[in-house]
Amino acid sequence: MLSRVAERIYWLSRYLERAEDTSRLILVRHNVILDLPRSVQPDWELLLNVLGARESFDARPGAATEKNIMSYVFSERENPSSIMTSLASARENMRTSREVLPSETWERVNSLYLSVARRANKGLPRASRHGVLNGIVQSTQQISGMLAGTMNQDETYQFLRMGRNLERADMTTRIIDVASLALANPEEDVSPYQNVMWVSVLQSLSAYQMYRLSVRHNVRPADVLQFLLRNRDFPRALSHCLLELEASMRLLPRGNEALKAVQSVHRKIKRTNCAELEGQALEKFLDHVQLRLQGVHEVIEQTWFTPEQ
Amino acid sequence: MADSSAAIKAPSPYKRARPGIDWSAYDPGAFYDEIISSPGNARAAARGLVSYTRKMSIKHLLSRQQAADLAIQEMGISFTVYSDGENIDRAWPMDILPRIIPLKEWKVLEQGLVQRQVALNKFIDDLYNKQRILKDKVLPREIIDSSPEFLEQCIGAKPRYGVWSHVCGSDLVRDADGTMYVLEDNLRVPSGVSYMLENRAVSKRVLPQLFEKHFIQPVDDYPSQLFDTLASLSPRPGDQPEIVVMTPGVFNSAYFEHAYLAQRMGAELVEGSDLVVGDDDKVYMRTIRGLERVDVIYRRINDDFLDPEVFRPNSILGTPGLFRAWRKGNVGIANAPGAGVADDKVIYTYVPAIIKYYLDEDPIIPNVPSYLCVDKKHCDHVLKNLENMVVKPANESGGYGMLIGPASTRKQREEFAARIRKNPRNYMAQPALSLSTAPTLCGNSIQPRHLDLRPFILQGKRHYVTAGGLTRVALRKGSLVVNSSQGGGSKDTWIVDTEAG
Repeated sequence: MLSRVAERIYWLSRYLERAEDTSRLILVRHNVILDLPRSVQPDWELLLNVLGARESFDARPGAATEKNIMSYVFSERENPSSIMTSLASARENMRTSREVLPSETWERVNSLYLSVARRANKGLPRASRHGVLNGIVQSTQQISGMLAGTMNQDETYQFLRMGRNLERADMTTRIIDVASLALANPEEDVSPYQNVMWVSVLQSLSAYQMYRLSVRHNVRPADVLQFLLRNRDFPRALSHCLLELEASMRLLPRGNEALKAVQSVHRKIKRTNCAELEGQALEKFLDHVQLRLQGVHEVIEQTWFTPEQ
Repeated sequence: MADSSAAIKAPSPYKRARPGIDWSAYDPGAFYDEIISSPGNARAAARGLVSYTRKMSIKHLLSRQQAADLAIQEMGISFTVYSDGENIDRAWPMDILPRIIPLKEWKVLEQGLVQRQVALNKFIDDLYNKQRILKDKVLPREIIDSSPEFLEQCIGAKPRYGVWSHVCGSDLVRDADGTMYVLEDNLRVPSGVSYMLENRAVSKRVLPQLFEKHFIQPVDDYPSQLFDTLASLSPRPGDQPEIVVMTPGVFNSAYFEHAYLAQRMGAELVEGSDLVVGDDDKVYMRTIRGLERVDVIYRRINDDFLDPEVFRPNSILGTPGLFRAWRKGNVGIANAPGAGVADDKVIYTYVPAIIKYYLDEDPIIPNVPSYLCVDKKHCDHVLKNLENMVVKPANESGGYGMLIGPASTRKQREEFAARIRKNPRNYMAQPALSLSTAPTLCGNSIQPRHLDLRPFILQGKRHYVTAGGLTRVALRKGSLVVNSSQGGGSKDTWIVDTEAG
């Protein structure tokens, strides 16, 4: 398999997952803010921090209003991590590797991109926000389902699987970040709503039901973290994503270095006591995990996409 | 041009539909028609088609055409056109009524095509080595000196079997008296063969009954023949050769074909950046297993862009060092760099002389009479008769930059005349031929439309000629322009054995 094709498939998968998870992430913030008492000034800028879009947003003209921030994370083409940019990049990667992917999936990706592009200038007003974002989540889920259900599970598929799981692992840490940053925010005293917020995080990851099935008592922050970080069975939990990465790497040639990198992140997570992860410790931990995941990406790139002479 | 009364109209819904297609109403006028010899009478090889459609209403035939259009969409057969700053994938236009050539006639054409390719390859090999043909003054040296397609870097190269153009597409046209002529040779990167194969797949789907009536020569073995031709160029014979198809990328208008051929041959489809030339002057491709040696490159990218070390230094489509690896014999490249020198439209006029010189034979398929504008006498003749001439630039393909005299305005002719006077070496002209026609579904009637034929000829260790080729048809009434980028369509081409059961 050509490195270029592998790289495009991997990025196609990452961008699709990114579009889905960014939608989920905006939904968490949206739901939390709806629950806040009216006396509290909602802080939308937090979204920019979590999505790593702070600097690029500040560099552009226009104030940090809810409307501006929403269009920036949803449809701004200049924003390298907006949903629009992710879908455009997914589509471009797919367009140039169509010959190895089932053709119906190309049609789905293309029409998802076109439907988002069509409403790009409308922004994301509160009235339609839930419907639009949920629609994106559903479409991307449908695309992953088609890929999983109609493709040879060969080397090509392993690159899809790696892209999806690495991006998902990263985005799960960012969605947890939304909650932890909100709790640490002095402007917005949300401690009375702590449980509500963690429920909202679980729901945005479609994890609430699975959490209740596997954790037999009330929603408590440490248990939620334990579930989202260390559960091996829930597909959006960090541990599960890392196990999936490991499985793919074992099926690919020359996967040793990459495997070691993933296993080391995994050990780090297993060693962490979730009960101690509160406030700044949690933020620091999540930042660290994000950096380590970036490291895994770099090894993947060196191993399969840019082989040395 | 064709009389409009020649059209066979669909029955109006208020009258009782006539049972079948009435071929006596079809009249191509003065043109040679490939299917109908005189009103109501089929040519021998086309009798099956004509008698079959006599029992078919036009409505029924149109529904078959719709089924074909649908199949083309489903199979994803497309070509890319660049317009308004965007690349658009268009469904491939195919008319379901086939173009039919009797096997007996085809056998002769086949020999003529091979003769041409053999002679042209000897010619290219001679130009880059001993240059006997120039020393013997059969061809004036100035023509080569002024040819932008003659690559000095290739002087002294000796590709295997002395073959430079391994895949050739020669365009054939038939004049009013039934004579087939070679209109031009495409020795660089001829395209269209995938559409020939797909057209056949579609006809088999929508007109299966006809395949029982006619004994039609199959075309499906082209990809394996191409594979064998390419494999015979491998520098490591005996091994399983690693063959790649090199494409300029997804934006190229023939990308569909590049992907198609790679798939059918089981070869990798690569872009320039996927290849790397090592310090050992061998070519490798970057794969997830690391670097893997490449033996043969079927390149679908022009000479200019092939290797920025030797040709256009700013090319990002090519691979640095490719030329060096080829010169050292470490990789086979088809078609070889520099092969384009022989499909210059000025060289074309010398092909009969070239055949005579290298093979001591007369050409089996004649050239269209041609006038070189570089020759003062010819040039005057062309300028005086522009109205009846087709003028072509020496080095363009795809039907661009041409003047079609009979269809031109006075202003266009004046502009063209100025261009010819400015740079006569760059132009050649041919009298506008009365291209043959074949019945074509247009709207809801059958009308005569002009067509040409592009067979594909392979030369490596052995020869191979496709049974037929790609028939391109000008869909606009009276038009002679068959290029798909300019509104042309296509037909399946049947070589029919009239003597077999």
